[in-house]
Formats: sequence, C-alpha cells, structure tokens
Amino acid sequence: MRKDAGGAGASVAQGRFTDIAFKTVNLLLCGLVALLLLGALVSIVTRTTPQALWDSIRSDEIQFAIRLSLLTSVSSTLLCLIVGVPAAYALTHYKFRGRGILNIIFELPLALPPVVAGMALLILFGTTGFGKALSDAGLQFVFTKQGIILAQFFVTIPFMYRIMKTTFQSINPRYEHVARTLGCSDLEVFRRVTLPMARNGLIAGSVIAWCRALGEFGAAMMVAGATRMKTETLPVALYLNMTSGDLVLAVSAATMLIVIAFVALLVFEKVAGSARIF
Amino acid sequence: MIRIENVYKSLGEFNLEDVCLDVDDGEYLVILGPTGAGKTILLETLAGIHLPDKGHIYLGERNITRLPPRVRNIGMVYQDYILFPHLTVEKNIRFGLRYRRLSEEKAETRIAELTEMLGIRHLLHRFPGTLSGGEKQRTAIARALITEPEVLLLDEPLSALDHETRNRLKEELRRLHRLTQTTMIHVTHNFDEVFVLGNRLAVMNEGRIVQVGEPGEVFRKPNSRFAADFLGVSNIYQGILNPGKGLSAFHVDGLVILTTSQASGKVQACVRPEDILVSLMPIESDAQNAFKGTIVDVSNTGPVVNIQVNVGSIPFIAAVTRRSFYDMDLRVGGEVYVTFKTVDVHVF
Repeated sequence: MRKDAGGAGASVAQGRFTDIAFKTVNLLLCGLVALLLLGALVSIVTRTTPQALWDSIRSDEIQFAIRLSLLTSVSSTLLCLIVGVPAAYALTHYKFRGRGILNIIFELPLALPPVVAGMALLILFGTTGFGKALSDAGLQFVFTKQGIILAQFFVTIPFMYRIMKTTFQSINPRYEHVARTLGCSDLEVFRRVTLPMARNGLIAGSVIAWCRALGEFGAAMMVAGATRMKTETLPVALYLNMTSGDLVLAVSAATMLIVIAFVALLVFEKVAGSARIF
Repeated sequence: MIRIENVYKSLGEFNLEDVCLDVDDGEYLVILGPTGAGKTILLETLAGIHLPDKGHIYLGERNITRLPPRVRNIGMVYQDYILFPHLTVEKNIRFGLRYRRLSEEKAETRIAELTEMLGIRHLLHRFPGTLSGGEKQRTAIARALITEPEVLLLDEPLSALDHETRNRLKEELRRLHRLTQTTMIHVTHNFDEVFVLGNRLAVMNEGRIVQVGEPGEVFRKPNSRFAADFLGVSNIYQGILNPGKGLSAFHVDGLVILTTSQASGKVQACVRPEDILVSLMPIESDAQNAFKGTIVDVSNTGPVVNIQVNVGSIPFIAAVTRRSFYDMDLRVGGEVYVTFKTVDVHVF
C-alpha cells in the first residue's frame, strides 16, 4: 500500500519535471527565433550611419524605386480586388461544372516558384500570337512597367482569392436569403449585405496582396527585367546595388521595404483584432 | 391563400417529398416535426430560396413556383435572427422599405407603430451585437413585417430563447397575428407552441406532410404510427378489424375492442392515455369498452400518474389524476377496470 503511494508520488514529480522542461524548451526556442529575426533586421538598418541612409533614401534612384514600387503594387492590388472578389464570389455562390478545377487553378500560383510564373508570363506575352496582338494594340508587357504589374498580379491573385473565398464561406447564407425575401436582387444583396459583411476580409486581402506585390522580385524580373531607373522597383534596386557593390543604396532600399512591411503588419493586426466586432 | 401542390425538392441531406398543403388567408399554421424532417427547406422553398424540383406553389391566384424571392412578398424570420450585423436596429428594420413605394412620412409611421407594438422603440440606434435574444427576435419580426408581407414564415422563432422570453414572445406572436391578420406559417419541434398559436397543425416527417388538421383533432386522432409516436400517444395496437353495423370489432390477440371506425383488415389503432378511465368497480356508462386487468406499473410524472394495466397480455396505459390515484389507493398487482369510448379508438 505504502509502496504504491510512493510510486504515484514519484510519477507526479516526474510529470511535473517534464512539464517544466517542455515549457522551457518551447520558450527558449521562441526567444531564439525572435532574436534571430530581429537581429537580422536591425543589422540591415544599422549597417550604415543614419545620415548616409537618409541621403541615399533621398537619392534619385531610391526615390524612383519607391515611386515605381508604390505605383505598381497599388495598381496590381486594385486589379486583384477587381478580379479576385468576383472570382471568389462566383466559386462560393454558384454551382457549376469544373468548379473544383477552377479553384485549383486559382490557387496554383501559390505553390509555383515566382521565377517559373515569370517565365510563363514572358513566353505567353512575348512570343505567342496573343502577346503580339496585345503588343500591336499598344499593350506592351515585356520589359515595361505594365509587365511588373502583370507579374505582381499573377503572383498575388491566389492570396486575394483565398482570403475572399474563406471570408465569403464564413458568411451564413441565411443573411443573403433574408435580404432576398426583403426585396433585394442578387447585385443588391452583394452590395448591401455580402460586401459590408466581408469588409475585414477585403482589408486583410488587400494588405496581404499589397505586401506580396511590393516584395515581388522573381516573376517581375523575368517579365520586366531589372533595368536601372526604368523597371527598378525597391527589390530590384536592392538587387542591382548589391551586385554592383553599392551597399548603402542596397541597404536603404531594404530599409524602405522593412518600414513598409511593419506599417502593413500594424494595419493588418488592427483589422484582425477588430474582426471580432461581428 | 397558399397552395402547395406535390412539391419535391432534394438538397442531399434534406428533402421534400410530394408535399401538398393549403394555408388559408389570415391563418396561423404550425408545422411540427422532428429535426431533419425538412421543415426549414419547406419554408425556404415557399420563400423562393430553393426552386422545387417538381410541383407548383400558388399564392392567391399567382403561380409563384419560379418567381425570385424578392417579388413573392413573403417574409422570413429565422431561429438565429440573422440581423445584419453592420446595420443598426433601425436600418435593419428599414432594410426592405427601399423596394416598397412608400412616402417617408408613411414609412416613419409604420416603423413607429411596429416598434411600439413590439416594444423595441428604444433600441433603434443600437447594433444587433448588443441586443438580447428576445430583442433580436423582435427586431427580426419587425424587419419582416415592415414590408407588409402576405405571408410571414417563422422558422423555429422561439427555440433559441430562454424559457421566460419564449413564453412572452409566444403571447406577442399571438397578439401580432390578431392585430395584423397576416398569414403565418410557424415551424417548430416544440409542442407547447402548437396549442397557444396554431389555428391548424401540420405534422411533418421525412420530407412529407403526414397529417394536417385542427391541433386538438390531430393530437386526439393521429392517423399514422409516426404521428402517434411523435405526438406521444402510447396505446398503439395492431390487429384485425371486422367492420360491422355501426360498430366494428377490432381483434387484438384475443381481445375485442369496439370502434366506430369502418375500415377493415389488418390495421393499427390507438387510444390516448387520458381517454382511458380507471376504476375499482365496473362503471355504468355508454362507453362500450370495459376490461378487467392487473396493474403492472405505476409511473408518477407530476400532475398525472401513468398506470399500466395489463388485460391478459395487452397493456393499456391510462393517465390518472394525482387525486384519484391516492383516492383509489392504486398499487402494482391490484385489479382494476379500464373503460373507454368506442369513438376514442382511432384506427389508422
């Protein structure tokens, strides 16, 4: 009897020990990773003096890259909204043949390496009859700013699509049913009920798509090339200056990207936090 | 008047199978059925959210089978309220007004009337997330009624509420029905709601309407094994019925029960426990079914005591009031008489 009780006591103590060990390992790893992430970022920002950083950020080249990056990423994000929202709506609201396949196609670029996506776009828009026809009509994509937007769009559309799909799926269809019985047409249901209720998804989708577009490098470079002061977005500026050994310029491009990422993350967290209002 | 003619709808898990149902103008119809009976699909099909695979639906003279919901003029209230979370109570209620040609003045009066009637006038500026269940359901009802629908569909409107709120809202629904004279179809699995609210009761099972009638009538005379079981009728017998002049003899394992039914052959019949009289001595009455039996079980369920009396091997459950149970001093093993009228033997 006493022996049994002693055995139980030992196993309780042992259990407590493994609990503490488990907790310690988890916390330790968590701290290490955080330190690594933060250290890497801080090392970029502190690579040069603040004065040199500030001067190079104000240089023509970086200013050009900031403007081009903002222009292309905002354009491609808007395109993503215009295409991704209706696509997600169609795939969640209509029943039709080939829905499953369409869903896979929409999400495919998610798994595809961006360089491959860029190459595919380059071939489609550069060498085929389709690309030639567009080019004759005045829409040039190869080695142009439009090419950057196209590449960003291609790489970010699956994010927008996925987020909007889950958002629409999370809305109880009865909201739409009730709106219909109250007199709404499908378009009015979408405008007055579905879209307002999907507000947080729209913001989250836009922020994520925009961040991905801003950092897009591989696909954009395949389609638009990396030409100084022509198709030079922030990631391209980083790459070009890194290879030419101009570290200060490269660091300032990286710093801008880090700053933008932080701002975007803040906005995203704020939205995600307010998502519980509904 | 609504007429549903042979409507079929298959939605995978839930189905409607050959549903036929007429609902008169101004009527309050309660549809009772177990979970999964297809009650909600029936309402949604009436509202136009699902199109029937087969069959027709008429609203008055209009064939509305293929019409979209927005032109049907049928209102819908769900169990989980479904108030638009991004709109205030007032904007929720006003939601459908945009599609009705109505002057702002008239709209104001109607909102005032409705919110007054439902006691939610002080909530107009609030958002749905801050309301209690009862307030939400009142808002949902106001939102549906503002458009003056010809028919109001209520899908388990009281099920998600606490006991007290449910009773209060039940009374309010009754009053609302009296005041507005709107045709209402109310789906539930709760028996209490049937007698307070329903002019008529429809029993639904496995996608079919199995019985329709005045509530008392349906409870007294279930017409199927399912209805009898579901409505809580316990004395169900299987046997052979020999129709006779005026009365028929129903043979159950050697026992002959007389009934007014004129059916014949192999049938089932039931007698409601509250229609069976228990006595210590034979009773002089015009009830022609009287048998002597032995008490084998007594179950005390509150206001009434259920007594099982075996006549030979055939069990009869009788409901006895608490008072007479003690007066007669009934115990297991005691001998008693069970007596019931021929009209209370319901054959199906």
